[in-house]
Amino acid sequence: MSGLLRTEGVCCYFGGLKAVDNVDMQVEPGDIFGIIGPNGAGKTTFFNVCSGIYKPTHGKVYFCDQDISNMSQEAISHLGVGRTFQTTQLFQFMSVLENVKIGCHMGTKTNMFDAIFHTKTYRADEQYAEEKSMETLRNAGLEQYANTLAGNLSYGIQRRVEIARSLASSPKILMLDEPAAGMNRLETDALRDFLKELNAKGQTILLIEHDMKFVMNCCNRIMVLNFGEKICEGSPEFVSGNKEVQTAYFGSRTFGKDVEANAEN
Amino acid sequence: MEYIISQLINGICQGAIYALMAIGYSVVVGVTGMVTFTHGEVMMLGAFASYYVFLWAGNNLFLGIIASFAASWIVGMAVYKICYEHFFNAPRHISLICTVGFSMLLKNLAQILFGANRLPMLNIIENQVYSLGPVKINLLQIVILLVVFALAAVLSLFLNRTRAGIALRAVSQEKTAAYMVGINVRRVAMTGNCIGCGIGGVAGMLMAIYYQTCYATMGGTMSMKAFSSSVLGGMTDVRLSALGGLCIGIIENLGITFSSANFRDAFAFCFLILVLLIRPQGFAVKKGARP
Amino acid sequence: MSKIKAFVGKHRSLMLTAALVFAIVFPLFGFKKSMVRIFCRILMYFTLAGSLNITNGYSGQTSLGHAGFYCIGAYVMAILTTRFQISFWPVLLLSGIGAAVAGLIISVPTLRLKGIYLSIITLGASEVIRIIALNWEGVTGGSFGIKDIPRPTFFGFTFDSPLKFYYLFLGVAVIFLLISYRLIHSRVGRSWMSIRENELAAKSLGVRTAPAKMMNFAYGAFWAGIIGGIYAVYVQYIDSAVFSLDEGFNIMSMIIIGGQGTLIGPIVGSIVVNGLTELLRPIGVWRFVMYAALIIVMMWFRPQGLMGESNSILAGAKIKMRKAGKTGGKKEAIS
Repeated sequence: MSGLLRTEGVCCYFGGLKAVDNVDMQVEPGDIFGIIGPNGAGKTTFFNVCSGIYKPTHGKVYFCDQDISNMSQEAISHLGVGRTFQTTQLFQFMSVLENVKIGCHMGTKTNMFDAIFHTKTYRADEQYAEEKSMETLRNAGLEQYANTLAGNLSYGIQRRVEIARSLASSPKILMLDEPAAGMNRLETDALRDFLKELNAKGQTILLIEHDMKFVMNCCNRIMVLNFGEKICEGSPEFVSGNKEVQTAYFGSRTFGKDVEANAEN
Repeated sequence: MEYIISQLINGICQGAIYALMAIGYSVVVGVTGMVTFTHGEVMMLGAFASYYVFLWAGNNLFLGIIASFAASWIVGMAVYKICYEHFFNAPRHISLICTVGFSMLLKNLAQILFGANRLPMLNIIENQVYSLGPVKINLLQIVILLVVFALAAVLSLFLNRTRAGIALRAVSQEKTAAYMVGINVRRVAMTGNCIGCGIGGVAGMLMAIYYQTCYATMGGTMSMKAFSSSVLGGMTDVRLSALGGLCIGIIENLGITFSSANFRDAFAFCFLILVLLIRPQGFAVKKGARP
Repeated sequence: MSKIKAFVGKHRSLMLTAALVFAIVFPLFGFKKSMVRIFCRILMYFTLAGSLNITNGYSGQTSLGHAGFYCIGAYVMAILTTRFQISFWPVLLLSGIGAAVAGLIISVPTLRLKGIYLSIITLGASEVIRIIALNWEGVTGGSFGIKDIPRPTFFGFTFDSPLKFYYLFLGVAVIFLLISYRLIHSRVGRSWMSIRENELAAKSLGVRTAPAKMMNFAYGAFWAGIIGGIYAVYVQYIDSAVFSLDEGFNIMSMIIIGGQGTLIGPIVGSIVVNGLTELLRPIGVWRFVMYAALIIVMMWFRPQGLMGESNSILAGAKIKMRKAGKTGGKKEAIS
């Protein structure tokens, strides 16, 4: 079996509520994989199952062919799953640089002994963290904010910082939960270009998004969830042409066409 | 065997007092959404209020209950104004530290006002022993149980049958939603806090009667017991907290039958730590009920 | 205030050296013994409060039972030096290690608990430790305590006056500061602070929060144990009454007044609280009321403490989006 991140029949129930029901998904290396669906379709829950915040009720999640269904969140992060959150979870009272430096946590090994005696490991790690975070900030176009408190930034920039912080840990797959939420059109476009650029460098990305235009233009594969179930998966063209998707997601056909037209613009 | 049975009765009786403390505590925590460290001191002041009433008005239990309830109610108002109202939107640890500071303030003030010595509260209730076969129970224990049950029943009626009580429950479940439907959250929180404190005051009085003494530093252990009990009951659930108090009382008293009475408090703490390790949500079924 | 901070920031090493030289030299100007004792107290409580600050201020785990670790250190020192005649220095290390092990054990519940539950566990544990010290008469001497703890020696040099102890306390404080500074400005310290700021995000970045918290607790407890050990030989007599919850609150009040999450805070807190203790001695018991009132006042008006940053999570600050440009700009202008 291949695929970077693969789920097999994942279910996540909260009492009687089937938030995620029997979802199979396979993300190949190099994909930009989008998950869409109406509000309450279980997208975020599915995300949380993949990154270990929730445990699946049934089914398995594999990352690089390793079963991660029952692993802790930290362990999964250590395997190379980086993620952002729907509501930004920045270290608000730290500067952007410090935020990103914590992102370098996994790439470094300093323990208390090293830190106290300033051993070689410590010096190497500090240098690595400094360089890596500056580089990440540069790539994300956040250099000028390096010394600003993260919480003081505008919402769109905060989202970017969160992505940069996650990137600093050099994840094999980057999972973004509604990255464009709260951004204006310009910021959204910039974000899309940024993600495409990342992807061109070989970064695999899995994202949830509401903005249809964003998803259609950005992703090369899309999965549609509704009421916790997968109703369709395929290329953007295939998905937007799918009848079931149109009725489920867009509500009515006319409205669906409207959005579709928008998406094509 | 008889010894164990009598310890069991002691345990139930003491557990009933702890239950009352825990009821007060969980009402406070539920309604304000913040954890308090002043509860012990509030109870201590209730005990002192009843002490002075007994001193001036004779051993009238009813007056004592009213006095301790009223005194603790007033202290509760001060606690609310100083430690909670200002901090509803601030991180929790700030109001937590504020309650720690206020409890230090009350304790030291009490030491200055009432003296550092133990004041005797002798024979508030006649020492009469009834025996049912091997089981001996004295009047004091019966009275304590009766008072606790009566208060619990009144509170339960209030919470479930009256408008104010239902508003109080609404606030303790979801403040924003309560605000949306037109409940004056601050006033209800204040009232709820005061009710919790008042109940705590009565519990403090019962404690003082039970040990026949009251002193300014009695709050510390009492507050720990109240806290342990309500943690055991899942923190904000009034009924389960009462059950938790009963459990702690029984375990303590059975524990000291097998070792020395000096370790009484250590038993309660160790039990609490064990509970938190094994089942952090206590008796409560719902997960995530933690404040 | 910000100008002073900027100035200190620019000439940090110079200021630090000056402060150190001052601390070394000034007790030599013929102070009375009682005065030197106060300086000793200040330094001792500085390290104690600083070690609590590691848990409370840096990893955000509000621990209220620091007196328990302090107690363990003191008893380890007292018991091993009086019963087994082991010399001071190895036992000092053992005091620290003993307390650190206790810290590790107590921090195990923190793997599942947060916030207030943790506070209660530490409070309870501190009380349990004191109750054991009070009642385990065979080992701890019960309520009589342990008397005649021998003075430490250092290559034939005996620590027998407050002045000599002053330098011992100073040495420990400096070592503590140095090590803590290095830890905090490393990956370890960053992981602690990330837990304080946002545990969920920390986990998503692969910070193993459970071991990090445990190490944090153990490290804080270690220094409390060291200070406990020195305290035992300093006063030569310990009993369990010293290590009550009030002592724990006293230590906590220092970091709250001085400022949590800063290295300088505990120094300021210790100077303020111990200075007040001396100044307010005439009003007797009322001074405890004063402390309590001071804590409440601090929480109302300056929850981050005297030295804390107003833009920190410990200040309870709510970041306001609208003001973003202004504050951000200011901050950049300084740095």
